[in-house]
Amino acid sequence: MAGFLSHVKVLELGDEKGEFCGKLFAGAGADVIKVEPPGGSSTRSIGPFYHDEPHPERSLYFWHFNFGKRGVTLDINAAEGRELLRGLLAQTTVVIDSLPLDTMENLGFDWEALQKLNPGLVYVRITPFGRSGPWRDYKANDLIHMALGGEMMHCGYDPRPDLTYDTPPISPQMWHSYHIAGNQAFIAALGALFARGKTGCGDYIDLPIHQAISCCTEHDVECFLFTGRPYLRLTGRHARPEPDAPTQYKTKDGRYHCIIANPFAGGFEAIVELLTRKGFADDLGSDKYKDPESRRNREFHHHFYAQVGKCVAASNLEETWHEAQDLGIPWVPVRKPEENLDDPQWRTRQTFGEVEHPELGRSFTYPRSPMLSEECPWRTGPRAPLIGEHNEAVFGGILGKGAAELKRLRECGVI
Amino acid sequence: MRPLEGVRIADLSWLMAGAGGLKLMSALGAEVIRIEYQGRMDWLRFHAQTPIPYRQPDRAPLNPQSPNRSGYFNAINAGKYGISLNVKHPEGRKLFLRLVAISDIVVESFTAETMDKLGLGYEVLKSVKPDIIYYQQPGWGKKGPYVKYASYGPIAQGVSGLTEQSGLPEPHPPAGWGFSYMDWSGAYYCAIGMLLALNYKQATGKGQYIDGSQIEPAIYMTGTAILDYLANGRHWQRTGNRSPYRPAAPHGAYRCAGPGADRWIAIAVTNEDEWRALVREMGNPGWASEVKFATMAARIANHDELDRLMEAWTREQDGYAIQERLQKAGVPAGVCQRAQDRLELDPQLKHLNWMITLPHSEVGPWPHRDIAWHFANLQSDQGGPTRRSAPCYGEDNDYVYGELLKLTKAEQERLRQAGVI
Repeated sequence: MAGFLSHVKVLELGDEKGEFCGKLFAGAGADVIKVEPPGGSSTRSIGPFYHDEPHPERSLYFWHFNFGKRGVTLDINAAEGRELLRGLLAQTTVVIDSLPLDTMENLGFDWEALQKLNPGLVYVRITPFGRSGPWRDYKANDLIHMALGGEMMHCGYDPRPDLTYDTPPISPQMWHSYHIAGNQAFIAALGALFARGKTGCGDYIDLPIHQAISCCTEHDVECFLFTGRPYLRLTGRHARPEPDAPTQYKTKDGRYHCIIANPFAGGFEAIVELLTRKGFADDLGSDKYKDPESRRNREFHHHFYAQVGKCVAASNLEETWHEAQDLGIPWVPVRKPEENLDDPQWRTRQTFGEVEHPELGRSFTYPRSPMLSEECPWRTGPRAPLIGEHNEAVFGGILGKGAAELKRLRECGVI
Repeated sequence: MRPLEGVRIADLSWLMAGAGGLKLMSALGAEVIRIEYQGRMDWLRFHAQTPIPYRQPDRAPLNPQSPNRSGYFNAINAGKYGISLNVKHPEGRKLFLRLVAISDIVVESFTAETMDKLGLGYEVLKSVKPDIIYYQQPGWGKKGPYVKYASYGPIAQGVSGLTEQSGLPEPHPPAGWGFSYMDWSGAYYCAIGMLLALNYKQATGKGQYIDGSQIEPAIYMTGTAILDYLANGRHWQRTGNRSPYRPAAPHGAYRCAGPGADRWIAIAVTNEDEWRALVREMGNPGWASEVKFATMAARIANHDELDRLMEAWTREQDGYAIQERLQKAGVPAGVCQRAQDRLELDPQLKHLNWMITLPHSEVGPWPHRDIAWHFANLQSDQGGPTRRSAPCYGEDNDYVYGELLKLTKAEQERLRQAGVI
């Protein structure tokens, strides 16, 4: 048993734009070395913090996004630092670079030079908008990317009856821009690695976050190209040209259930069965609705969804949905992330796992695996690196620097 | 060279969460053979953006009964081969296994136990191709007590926590995503699973079975909130468009002048330099120098009032003009763009050539979103090895049954009449 990518070495340079891509590599078994400036990466200042105390070793954001990586500190702008970086670039399989534009080029590491240094290198360049073009130098963060990429105009709350809005478009936040870009960068990199296995040649992959997000919306572009119609934002469900039935219903304990209830398809009988059991079927089971055509009108819809709503309103968050699923109805509680920790499905699949934090004398439960493979289990540790934790192992072990040399480099602020 | 040249995939996936992953595999050069049968064709062939082409009013109208005219289906299935094959028919099952024997990967997104019921479980696949990679992606995964449970994008988002994390604070309900984000993300992980297994097989010679799910990748993305709960006992609370964990203010979407009174610009001020630049661009209004907005902490404490004052400035102006002006001054800002904006007004996407035109055998040439990665040397685009949009139903039967499986025309005809292909 070994990770999928235990034969792959990755060097990660940059910030939150590339950290998720690096996390995927590490999770899949690659040896990922994260290069941080002396003092630590800027992403160590992103909250929340352990016990709410801001500290570079206590960023829970950093813990999550850098799980399973090794960490070194290196001032890549210092002459000696650049030489150490050259050494690392020469021996790695993959580089993930999300540094500010032109940083590596200005250090002499343009693609031409890198190819000479390491002909098999797979270089993943993640930039906000691309390396050229009119918006090249635009500044962005997660919110701005979700706005420009088209995601926000899908997401929000129902319009007023005249189809105008009193609420803004909503960004789902939580760094999904970088999830979206990281997933696509990882896919491209895995493709390039496979090609490298056949030819020995690496490649340079340009991944503009803006384009990655613009490609990740569902079918707004196709709808516009085919019909010319814009989408409306609709509470908790798909944006579309016209408002449709709700999918989100409030529970007795003030939470929500999400239900895909289709009054036409086979699912209708299942829902009527459930509503009958729960005492909310009203006349939905009567003969007058046996013919699907009798259900194709606004009045029926109103009636049908109102009964589903009453059933949910009588249930708490974790009630009713298992019974519905057993009847084949796509029905779930709208959970908070932490409410999945004790679910038997995820426990059986070991979706979550304990990760030791020895310096804190305890472990934390992390979501560790996005899929199950017995042949190649996802990484179980270690926790994210402390600042410069692997300087000796990497600069000593890989680049052959002795203890005295490392001490000197530390003292003059190179590592 | 295309990265996955020479890789063949027997593809039983459908809808989006599975089929979208195969679109990425075909963009990388894999020969994806999409298998469908008329009794149960992909639902998307008949739904999702099928009306009259808006951009080409002169074109002959599409046959509304045709399974080949869905804009969304055609987008998700570009670059793939397509055959008709009834795998439930005993002869169809045998034919499928002949295809498996010359494939590298079998992939499907049925409910979890379907393949076992068809007599096509991993052990059977392995018996005809010992190093086969079998990637399965039912909603909840195959292992576990919820093996029979159903999932779609919104269901995956709902149960994982992603829906609850998005939206204005209480008492507003969760806003969710506005589309099936976990269909796309499911597609990413479908591709990731296959690519990881391919790389592993290249290194070790071993195939494998992967039990994927649509929901686990969503959970994988919620780690920070889970750690906040475990470390600090904090339950998730929505923050709307305000920055959840990194101090930033103003940070939100502000109404501006524009189409349908529904034009908004996102502005994010993450440090004092950006704040000073914003104040300058707003013409140094008196309120901006008040103590209650003087520091990041003060602005966060008075964010409601700050939002109202910001919007009073943005609402009569053109969104793109504000965007251009603020970006020039070094302030992160961007219009909340719709599809039309990205297609017609966004110069950066145009510069990146994000749309390509691919021929479709029935619809004709049609614009497609290309993949977002750009290789320096390797070749990769949404046309894949077929160099065209989605296959029409059964379009590549001749290639697959004739060239690959060496069936004679007469045999193919007999199978057609027997309801096998």
